[in-house]
Amino acid sequence: MSLLLPVVVFAPAIAAFLLLAIPDSQKAATRAVSLLGATISLLGSIKVALDYDRSAGGLQMGYDLPLLPTLGIHLNLAVDGWGASLLLLTGIIIFAAVLASFTVARRDKEFFIYLLVLVSGVFGVFVAQDLLIFFLLYEIAVLPMYLLIGIWGSSNKVAEDGPFRYVWSLLDVGGREYAAMKLTLMLLMGSAAILVGIFWLYLEAGATSFDLAELARHEYAEPTQLIVFPLFWLGFGTLAGVFPFHTWSPDGHASAPTAVSMLHAGVLMKLGAFGVMRVGMVLLPEGTHAWAPIVGAVAVINVVYGAFSAMSQKDLKYIVAYSSVSHMGVVMLGAATLDSTAWNGAVFQMFAHGVMTGLLFALVGLIYERSHTRIIATMGGFGSVMPVVALFFTLACLSSLGLPGTAGFVAEMMVFLGAWRVGHPIWAIAGIVGAFVTAVYVLRASRTIFWGPGPSEKFEHLHDAHGSELVAPIVLGAAIVVFGVWPRLILDLIDPSTSANLAVITRVIGGGQ
Amino acid sequence: MTQADFMPLLLPLLAVAATVLVIVMDLFLPERRGASLGWLTAALLGGLLVVSFYVPTTGVVGDGVFVGTAWSVFFARLSLVAALLAVLGALEHVERRFPRRQGEYYALLLSSVVGMLILPGARDVLLLVVAFELMGIPLYVLAAYAKSEGMPLLASEEPGSGKKSPAAEAAIKLYLVGATSTAITLFGLALVVGVAGTTEITGLLGDGPLAPLTRVGMMLVLGGMSFKIGLVPFHMWVPDTYQGAPTPFVAFLSVAPKATGIAAFVSLFVIAPAAHGGAHGPWIAMLLVLATASMVIGNLAAVPQSDVRRLLGFSGVAQMGYVLLAIATGTSEGLSMAAFFLAAYVVTNMGVFFVIHACAAEDGRHDLASLAGLSQRAPFLGFALLVFLLSLAGIPFAVGFWAKLYVFLAAFRAGYVWLVALGAVLAVIGLFYYMQVARAAFMKDDASTGAPAPTIGVGLRAAVLLCLVGVLGLGLWPALLFDQTADAGTSILETRAP
Repeated sequence: MSLLLPVVVFAPAIAAFLLLAIPDSQKAATRAVSLLGATISLLGSIKVALDYDRSAGGLQMGYDLPLLPTLGIHLNLAVDGWGASLLLLTGIIIFAAVLASFTVARRDKEFFIYLLVLVSGVFGVFVAQDLLIFFLLYEIAVLPMYLLIGIWGSSNKVAEDGPFRYVWSLLDVGGREYAAMKLTLMLLMGSAAILVGIFWLYLEAGATSFDLAELARHEYAEPTQLIVFPLFWLGFGTLAGVFPFHTWSPDGHASAPTAVSMLHAGVLMKLGAFGVMRVGMVLLPEGTHAWAPIVGAVAVINVVYGAFSAMSQKDLKYIVAYSSVSHMGVVMLGAATLDSTAWNGAVFQMFAHGVMTGLLFALVGLIYERSHTRIIATMGGFGSVMPVVALFFTLACLSSLGLPGTAGFVAEMMVFLGAWRVGHPIWAIAGIVGAFVTAVYVLRASRTIFWGPGPSEKFEHLHDAHGSELVAPIVLGAAIVVFGVWPRLILDLIDPSTSANLAVITRVIGGGQ
Repeated sequence: MTQADFMPLLLPLLAVAATVLVIVMDLFLPERRGASLGWLTAALLGGLLVVSFYVPTTGVVGDGVFVGTAWSVFFARLSLVAALLAVLGALEHVERRFPRRQGEYYALLLSSVVGMLILPGARDVLLLVVAFELMGIPLYVLAAYAKSEGMPLLASEEPGSGKKSPAAEAAIKLYLVGATSTAITLFGLALVVGVAGTTEITGLLGDGPLAPLTRVGMMLVLGGMSFKIGLVPFHMWVPDTYQGAPTPFVAFLSVAPKATGIAAFVSLFVIAPAAHGGAHGPWIAMLLVLATASMVIGNLAAVPQSDVRRLLGFSGVAQMGYVLLAIATGTSEGLSMAAFFLAAYVVTNMGVFFVIHACAAEDGRHDLASLAGLSQRAPFLGFALLVFLLSLAGIPFAVGFWAKLYVFLAAFRAGYVWLVALGAVLAVIGLFYYMQVARAAFMKDDASTGAPAPTIGVGLRAAVLLCLVGVLGLGLWPALLFDQTADAGTSILETRAP
């Protein structure tokens, strides 16, 4: 029994607990404790990634605590290659997110408490080997979001237009409380579907254990496979932004405070994709096989529609949010191919997109704190007043459009290659179209904000990122380049798990690919 | 009567003694007594609770009139915990509002508890009805206790204008509904007993096929009982009473009589049919209809409420629907899950009411606005409120999550897949209105209201803290409660027909 995983998972929660004991006035102590919790998790997740025995593969560093043995519920934590890489992603993002939150002024203690509790849930999902615990931590990861967005979010937005603007204004569309409630309810609706699916499998497998490996051993009847798979796909998929259940994402991400956007787009959406692959696909091979064409087709819609939606936005945060919808489509596209290269690419894309979008949201936050606007049309020439921000923003944009040498390129290339290889050239071509449109909107946004004429008088006084603000961009930017140039660092972790999980599926299908 | 015969009734007998003791002490204590009677009652209830853990009180009394099982002991503990919390939570309220009538308040509460201790083990229709009334009648009085308090039910009336007392109105409503439903229940039971020729619950449905009159009778009983625990469409009194009666009392009213009422429900609609041959009888469909209607109507009607107590009233209706879903399975597993759900509900719901009580505006209003900025004014109460609301909504690491999970699991296993799906969707709606309350407490800033931090006394603080410990403790370590409820659920179906 290794205690490493419990430490990684629960360090933020314990830090949150310690925060309760710190008086409100101790702002520095609050930040120190929060950063300490995040740092322990980051170091722990690095250690997990280093210690993971790549040649042995499988589940490692297990920790098992019987929680409710009568029903077969164990707090069973163990890590496989996917888990290790996503753990690392979460560690990086939360570290950067805590640093980016140092500027939160109002009710900051509460903010850090919710943020840290949330991230404990995220860590837990990636390593939970008990389906019920998986679900339970998944909920923990989703719910604090309501308060985080509702209290600290911003309602500052571009005025709605179009024929329905009166209705939208009545509903407070775009407001932070609207966004928070929409996000929570949609994700919880997804959870309801997941819960039904979990029960179904648990009972059909003999109702003795929620252990994932145990459940995967059972061969479920065909109707079960066909009905439960879409429950998982759409249930988890809601969090992964699967069309048409992605609509919480632009509103939510745009309204959320910086750290929450980083965490939500950077890591939480991956929980959804991870759930679809780790639970839906591995447990239900036949259902996966039957539904894969539809999953792939919807993912194509995600990629293309997300990109076009992003292109038509005027609000910087909405652009980044819609680009997440588009990029998560690439993940789902890779998953739907059931091809080992594309699966590696899908998991790598989770990592790459997480780092990239985390960086983008961190920078958008910096820009907004200075200029107090997110409307692109009013910006311009910021490159001359904040060159560092401009540099990192451009780097993130290049990764977003898949420039070779960045992590985004590796991921997208693997996914499209895999899709083509297993006989879905249409998916690959559509994906490339999506990447092209992405290039249009990110370059356009980047040009307008940083490189166009300006800055106007109003923005002349803006200053560049400095001090602790630099840490997050440097860490995340470095990750983009390092893993883009040397993808094997992560791919070596991902690959054995991909093979193992894919083997489960192809074995049942009888050879398959 | 040998000693073994008498042991199962130990708890109710001790409770009677405690009631007498409180009445006597009321006579002898000096005028300026503070809250000493309340503390005495709390100590007595705590003592009873300890006794329930250390003295075995299972066994059969007098030809099976009363059967003490793990089930009845579990419900006894549940009532005692609820009563203990109710006494603590009402301590300052009672002392301040009616200093001269404290003794009566606690004596009435205790005598209601006596009924609750008998009811789950009653295996004879006569005892069941008597226990039910013993539980119910003191509650009518308690509801009317604050004769001139609370908000009028109609917004047009000025508070304190003296035209009509809302507490009295709430009490009358509770009384009329209670009396009517008792009458209906009794009429139904008369028919059933008349056909069966016995008052034993295990023989209530007779042998062989069900007589038409038995069916009609049981249907009437079902209606009467549904009134008592507030199931749709017999739920109209719930929100009105919750809104009108004194809040610390409502905390008790909303959980203990309902939990015990569910136990009686089980006696009549699970044990009796089980003894009749395992079949559920024709009521299973009715139970499912009531459960579904309660979940749907309760959850939907709670959404537009602006008074927190009305909101909780409707949410209570919905929660009872979930319990009934578990009961309708008729399996020992379903019963365990129902028991777990009720235990979770007791700590959670009482907790919410206590926090609401602590934060009520000076004029007795309990609308959402009175909670504004609570997380700033009183962080402890704000945190507690959030935990309780999440527990009601069924969110992990609060005991309410496990409660909902178990109920759904039992229902799923019994084959009610669609009801589970419906319940899960409705739970999301539930989250919506619970979050409305949280939103009022967390997202509205204090500056707009300027209300002072609520001052709460030791008793109320202890009650909130105990509820919080229960909700979080059992949420983190559900096995503690789960094993008990598993025993309870198994024990009740084993001991049919001696």
